[in-house]
Amino acid sequence: MEIFDFYRKDRWPHVFCPGCGNGTVMNCFYRAFSELDLPLERTAFVGGIGCSSRIPLYISSDALHTTHGRAIAFATGLRLSKPDLKVVVFTGDGDLGAIGGNHFINGCRRNVDMTVICINNNIYGMTGGQASITTPHDFLSTTTPFGNKEYPFDLAELAVAAGANYVARWTTRHVHELTKSIKTALQKKGFAFVEVISQCPTNFGRRNKMADPTQMLEWFKESSVRRDKVRTAAVDHFDLNMAGQITIGEFVDRNRECYEELIGVEKHG
Amino acid sequence: MKPVIDKRLCKGCNVCVYICPKKCYSRGADISEMGYYAAVASATEKCYNHKREGKLICELCVLSCPDQAISWHPETEEDLKK
Repeated sequence: MEIFDFYRKDRWPHVFCPGCGNGTVMNCFYRAFSELDLPLERTAFVGGIGCSSRIPLYISSDALHTTHGRAIAFATGLRLSKPDLKVVVFTGDGDLGAIGGNHFINGCRRNVDMTVICINNNIYGMTGGQASITTPHDFLSTTTPFGNKEYPFDLAELAVAAGANYVARWTTRHVHELTKSIKTALQKKGFAFVEVISQCPTNFGRRNKMADPTQMLEWFKESSVRRDKVRTAAVDHFDLNMAGQITIGEFVDRNRECYEELIGVEKHG
Repeated sequence: MKPVIDKRLCKGCNVCVYICPKKCYSRGADISEMGYYAAVASATEKCYNHKREGKLICELCVLSCPDQAISWHPETEEDLKK
């Protein structure tokens, strides 16, 4: 499958800003999907509200654009009513962690069979750069002009604690590893969660002395540490300060019973 | 294979210039028809995939390009002489 058989060529160039990490994730997702040779017509893509949640609308397949934060709730319903359908959710940090936080942890707990790709750009990029739940400590944004005094959420650790079957975190600088992780997540039965730390040069980088996307990629490269090399306690992982670190790697890979098996949804269609 | 930048898709973010380990790309000097300083694949003979008979060893630029502007094309006779 060529890349523009997978994506809608008539919608190109897409709306994302120059240097936005969403396009990189689109490349990696296309690569993983085409290497697995999955049927596009038997896959549904779900997105919430936000920049990253626009990705399903660019794929030439069935897409569901849902209300803010409720992408996982809609995807659960879709998956249970059509059990032969593969469901992939594209979502952002504000959509998944802030507004849809409860749906996210309960989706992980239920372990519904779906793949969730969260593009975490550390800011509310679409609405003008307000501080989100993943804005690192002491970073600037429009609502925190003297530095963000809060500490960010660690979405990957949250998914591990809530019971997801597969959890991984990569950055847009680690494209090959990200492609491999998306491939594993698409094959996994149960809730598979891939978090991608992505660059937002327009609204995050510009206010934090990283206006060029390449400066943000360099920051990811320098501050990311593989999980197997980290010896610190779990709570200190996502410190993400200028002197801090981004823990990347596969967090968990297990085979808990998924929700469809527990309630006995029969395959049809 | 050699990388070719589609000038109609490139938004001039210069991620390819940064990410290429062999420095195949350079920043654009002219404004493209879409209004961006599109990057130029100026030294494709340095690419890892040059003269590999279609085998792709490094694909960092194609995977990283946020605008899907880079694609692989077979080398022409002129490229093979370099």
